[in-house]
Amino acid sequence: MTKNLLKYSFVILSLALSSCTAAYGMAFKRLPEVDPSLAISGLTLLAGTLAVLRVRRKK
Amino acid sequence: MRFALRSTGNPRSQSSAPIPFHCLLLWRLYFLAAIFALEAVLVLGPLHIEPGFHLGVSPVAIVAFAVFLGLGHPWLKAQRERIPFGFIFFGGYLACVAAEICIHAVMALHGAGGGFSNAAVFATTAIFFFKVPLLALACVPLRLWIRMIRATSPLWFYACAAGVVSWSLLHPSWSLWTASSAGFGRVFQTATFASVQALLRLVRPDAVANAAAFSVESPRYLMEIAPSCSGMEGFGLILAFTSIWLWYSRKECRFPHVLLLIPCGLGLIWILNVVRLCALFLIGDAGNPEVADVGFHSRFGWIAFTAVALAFSMTTQRLSWVRKARSPVLSAPDGAPGGSSETAMVVREKLSQQQGESPAIRAYLIPFLAILAATFVSRAASGYFDRFYPLRFIAAAIALWYFWPELKKLNWRFGWIAPAAGAAVFLVWIAPAWWAHQQAASRLGADLAALSPAARWAWIGFRVAAAVVTVPIAEELAFRGYLARRFVSRDFDAVLFPSLTALSIGLSSVVFGLMHMQNMEDWQHLLVGTLAGLAYVLVLRSRGRMGDAVVAHAVSNLLLAAWVLGTGDWAQW
Repeated sequence: MTKNLLKYSFVILSLALSSCTAAYGMAFKRLPEVDPSLAISGLTLLAGTLAVLRVRRKK
Repeated sequence: MRFALRSTGNPRSQSSAPIPFHCLLLWRLYFLAAIFALEAVLVLGPLHIEPGFHLGVSPVAIVAFAVFLGLGHPWLKAQRERIPFGFIFFGGYLACVAAEICIHAVMALHGAGGGFSNAAVFATTAIFFFKVPLLALACVPLRLWIRMIRATSPLWFYACAAGVVSWSLLHPSWSLWTASSAGFGRVFQTATFASVQALLRLVRPDAVANAAAFSVESPRYLMEIAPSCSGMEGFGLILAFTSIWLWYSRKECRFPHVLLLIPCGLGLIWILNVVRLCALFLIGDAGNPEVADVGFHSRFGWIAFTAVALAFSMTTQRLSWVRKARSPVLSAPDGAPGGSSETAMVVREKLSQQQGESPAIRAYLIPFLAILAATFVSRAASGYFDRFYPLRFIAAAIALWYFWPELKKLNWRFGWIAPAAGAAVFLVWIAPAWWAHQQAASRLGADLAALSPAARWAWIGFRVAAAVVTVPIAEELAFRGYLARRFVSRDFDAVLFPSLTALSIGLSSVVFGLMHMQNMEDWQHLLVGTLAGLAYVLVLRSRGRMGDAVVAHAVSNLLLAAWVLGTGDWAQW
């Protein structure tokens, strides 16, 4: 019970903080790293690499 | 925390007839979120609409929706009822969006300078409260909303509570960014400045640090550490990534042990930011201020974030201390405590074969990822002019050469329709510039003219070779060969190209268009990129050959290269 509460609380807190940060960044456009074109390339590189790393073993 | 999810007792849910995934409840909720996300991007981007009400509501809605979807995922996934789409409600939603755009256009034309008058605020707020229920009802009928809320109760309460928590954290978290002496941002800024100063003292003891202005100065370069450069962006990105990753891999992780990796990740990204600032100063001080300010400043931030995120995900998968132990059933499948280890190995082997991505993903994605990684490195080491562009060609060529034994099994033949489609895409691509009789401003021509003739033609040669050879192959493998088929099935390499669905064609094309945006307001490249993606994937689907899509893409790029070199319209590159 405590572990799950801790787990969910952390996830909620993280999402809250990161969504606030993103909202701030998108609204005021002060953040070069949150520039969408750069962010799309960066996130694509990260997501693609994670997908390649999670490849399953050959049968 | 377990929710007693009640059965709906829906007789239709027992039907064994296959239902398209976009008619299922969970996917409809994903679609709802995607439409709102798209609208937010359009509102803040090409439509130039002041965020206003969206800005306050967004964090609450995002968190509440994410918590509802996350905690209710097992129940939502189990719902197998075919849900009709409410086209009338969706039409109403689109009308509301159109009305919103009209209001902003009228306000902009009649002297409000794009700002808000009280009437406009009232009208757009009223429209907001209309359009949200309309879209919600278009995606999921009212009776299903009621049933969902009842069945998952008290999940709605936790979701709303999480939203309220996010609302209460909104302003304190914004204060982290403020530069006022009372703000938390100043504490962060001071700590980062002190660390940079200490590190730089080791390599440049003569650099002058001004603690009042948070600046470090040498005769050749001045660096000021602003609050937003003190590592907060990295903290936000790492917090978002780690929370999403831990949620995704929650069944494999050992809680609360794995949570200890969060401060490790935050600490690492902060240290890398200090290293970034020191390197930035040293690059600028070495006589390359343009490289420091334009290329290195933001690209290294993404390189650091990607490195920390990958290290985090690898650690959660490889470090046994944070990995969940196998269940007794799996570790001893014969039921005996500490049962046959040989049988357990067989069970684990079968599980690893069922989970994860198809092994073919490496040949399809790595050439494209090599281009992306090389782009980050080459742009980080450049100013406005990407002098290391040949690195992208070399990286892709090596990756393609390495995987060619697997790739040569694809059908690389092509017919006349491929070059015809490529030429059509080229015409669409240059149509806006040709129609306006105006070339967008670009420094590329002047930067190339400043090079020696040999360097200039070598750069142009690599640029054309990449555009015509490596980029079409790598992008077609990634977007059409992998992504379009991955939207159909996890075993994407078993999906035949003619069996691509409308949804997979549309989604992969939009992602392709997004990848071609050059900035947030670049809706033109988003649109023509999406159309180009549609053309290539339709050629591929009609002929069922990868060669057709690659040749169409290569012809588009070849004609574009000829256009750029012939007319001097360097902005097209």
